Amino acid sequence: MNELIHNLAIWLDDTEWSRMLHESYYMYNWVESTHVLTLMVSLGMLFLIDLRMLGLALPDVPASRIAERLNLPMLVGFVVMFITGILLFYAVPVRTSQSLWFRLKMVLLVVCAVNAFLFHKRMNESVATWDIEPRAPSRIRLGAMLSLGFWSIIVVCGRFIAYDWFDCDTSPNTLIDIVSGCVDGQTRF
Amino acid sequence: MIATMFTSYPRTLTAVAALLALLTLAYGGAMDAVYPSLLTVFEWLETTWFGVIGKTWGAAFAFVEAVHLLGLALLGGCVLAGDGRLLGVVLTDVPMQTVVERTHRVFVFGLSICLATGIFMACGVATKIYYLPVYWFKMLALSAGMLFHFQVRRPLLSHDIQSLNPVVVKMVAVASMLVWFMVAATGRWIGFSG
Repeated sequence: MNELIHNLAIWLDDTEWSRMLHESYYMYNWVESTHVLTLMVSLGMLFLIDLRMLGLALPDVPASRIAERLNLPMLVGFVVMFITGILLFYAVPVRTSQSLWFRLKMVLLVVCAVNAFLFHKRMNESVATWDIEPRAPSRIRLGAMLSLGFWSIIVVCGRFIAYDWFDCDTSPNTLIDIVSGCVDGQTRF
Repeated sequence: MIATMFTSYPRTLTAVAALLALLTLAYGGAMDAVYPSLLTVFEWLETTWFGVIGKTWGAAFAFVEAVHLLGLALLGGCVLAGDGRLLGVVLTDVPMQTVVERTHRVFVFGLSICLATGIFMACGVATKIYYLPVYWFKMLALSAGMLFHFQVRRPLLSHDIQSLNPVVVKMVAVASMLVWFMVAATGRWIGFSG
């Protein structure tokens, strides 16, 4: 599996657009800046929704209204982050696909998606009974806390991708090499 | 007339005066005189605990960078929700006063995280950022943002918003979003410089 991912990454790396994006100082920085700054739209809205459920933000506004009204800007933000994220991966595919932090981030993104699905399902089932309460029921609050926690770790992982502590050619730890999916003798940036 | 204006808009005029003073300091030649002597302050910052930790433990620095981003997300979310409401774009069925008031508390929390982590990061790379023009642009934008938020936007919007001129309210919202975008964008650009 790792070899397959690695070969795919090498194929992407060999494409002209990948090289152009990687070597273009301004374009790469614009894409990365957009990816980071869109945090304010996507995670900013998500944090407000989660904090509302915990009773820490806008407690006197119905929870369903906050969730529904901030959902669209949040999704727009996530779409922009997703597109710019793909471009960032495309610009540096080999190193990124073998990054421990990138892999952890991808797993946590899936976990967050599952948590968001369950959160909305539970909320829609019961919101009529607690909508105007300052704090949501404990099950919803747990979902909000997990969302805050997982997304915070995702941001930390995203930031750590830039550092080379566990890169395949520098990491002496075999276990980390395995988790990172290092393919022996095939490291290229 | 000037006395009447000052009693009517003391905070706004103070904020404008402070901003003009900052801009004069930055571009009027005074900065050139002060700039060389600031180097010792930045060199000292690197010798503080924050500076030593930031320089010694790359992981600690990177972690604080991530927390800085989380604070920025929170701050940005509040700005977009509050100003978006003033522009009639989001939460249109919630009273403006409620959105502005309630998001302010979270905004202050987000700003506090950004300031605390920002000071830590600045100490770790003090002698690098000292030479970066974009760092000084960011400090100018941050000062403008805080002055605008606490001295202009907040006092103005603490009145009944419905009684204010809608054009003024929308201009305040646009100015607020622009200034905080400027702060975030210049901050991001520090990472690409030097």
